Amino acid sequence: MKYPVFTSLVAAAAISGCASTTTIDDYRPTTEPIKIGVGEKVAILGRSDAGHYETDRGFIDCLGDRLKNASFEVVPEEEFVDALYPWFEPRTAPKHLSRLKKLMQDPVIQEKVQQERIRYLVWLDGEVESHGRTGSMACGITGAGGGCFGYQSWDKNVMFEAVVWDLSDLTEEARIRVDSEGTSYLIGVVAPIPLLTRVKSQACEGMGEQLRGYFSQEVG
Amino acid sequence: MTGLLCVAMAFVSGCTTNVRVKHEFPTVVSKPMDMSAVLVLDRKFRNYQARPNSKTTIELGASQVDLFSKAFSGLFTPLTVVSSKEDAGPDTDLVIIPSVREVQLATPSDSYLNVYEVWIKYNLDIETADGMPIDSWFLPAYGKTPDSYLLSRGVAIEAAAVVALRDAGAKLLLDFFRIPALYGWMQQQSATMTEP
Repeated sequence: MKYPVFTSLVAAAAISGCASTTTIDDYRPTTEPIKIGVGEKVAILGRSDAGHYETDRGFIDCLGDRLKNASFEVVPEEEFVDALYPWFEPRTAPKHLSRLKKLMQDPVIQEKVQQERIRYLVWLDGEVESHGRTGSMACGITGAGGGCFGYQSWDKNVMFEAVVWDLSDLTEEARIRVDSEGTSYLIGVVAPIPLLTRVKSQACEGMGEQLRGYFSQEVG
Repeated sequence: MTGLLCVAMAFVSGCTTNVRVKHEFPTVVSKPMDMSAVLVLDRKFRNYQARPNSKTTIELGASQVDLFSKAFSGLFTPLTVVSSKEDAGPDTDLVIIPSVREVQLATPSDSYLNVYEVWIKYNLDIETADGMPIDSWFLPAYGKTPDSYLLSRGVAIEAAAVVALRDAGAKLLLDFFRIPALYGWMQQQSATMTEP
């Protein structure tokens, strides 16, 4: 074998390294399914704080796609914030239930929520972090050809939390936290071979399945 | 020679970004106060073109007219939008004249952040119908793109400007009636009206 070290590295990384660990913690006051009436909708929103902080947009879109074929209708973030403009902008969005209750005391806002038939609001919060970068890679071109040689790895952690608010009785229905971590590799054997961990999509998958299982469509 | 000049011109103009913000804002969800107001959106405001740096122009006029008209119709009824202060009739409670004080832009090359940011600073002159100034309110607004991946410079600046304009609308709805001078004037007005 010509490159035994590299070959075993690639194989080891492919088999075990890109594996990720995902944990899902959820809190619900009851095990009963969350009832959703016929025609009622669920809106998914990402937390953002007046410019300083914003929930990963890719994750919000991913979760929206995951819930597309659920038995209930999902309202995309943009549609929801436009329908209730300007009360769910970064500057004005309620961060706690107490603020939501105050907001819903306004009959115009309450009427609009009812008119749009939005029953539940899923607030998403979280981020993706990369750290622990190790190794090095060198790329070059010579008269005989070019290539990259070396090895790099880095860890990726994602943490997302979803909080489900009932806009009808103004209560918190559920809270789910998904943590996922994994290691990505870049191996240079002439061509750089990326072996990327799928932590974000696994966290999205886990949260999507969990949320989907919470809701139960009321018959009639 | 002409060809060279054309190439040079194209090169020079290619380095500048002209952004036209074309966005229709949603109608605000708000019950307006029963108080008549005239919103003066003059020619300068309607055709406002910001030049945050020598290489960028942002045409904000049409979008900010749309935003301010919609935001103020959620604050006052009846609301009249006019193009000049002289068009404001005497039978109104308030006259509001917005103007742009400054527009700032930060791009990834300026800030080393992976976002485009836009700040718009408005000034709102609030007067009574007979021209008595109540306040000159400073209204800052901020907008940014979530990131700058796969965005051209023009598209990214427009997206950040739209977010900043939405922020201006949100601040207006949230804080306009909390302006101390305006609040005091309104209290005074209602006290005068209830006097026997």
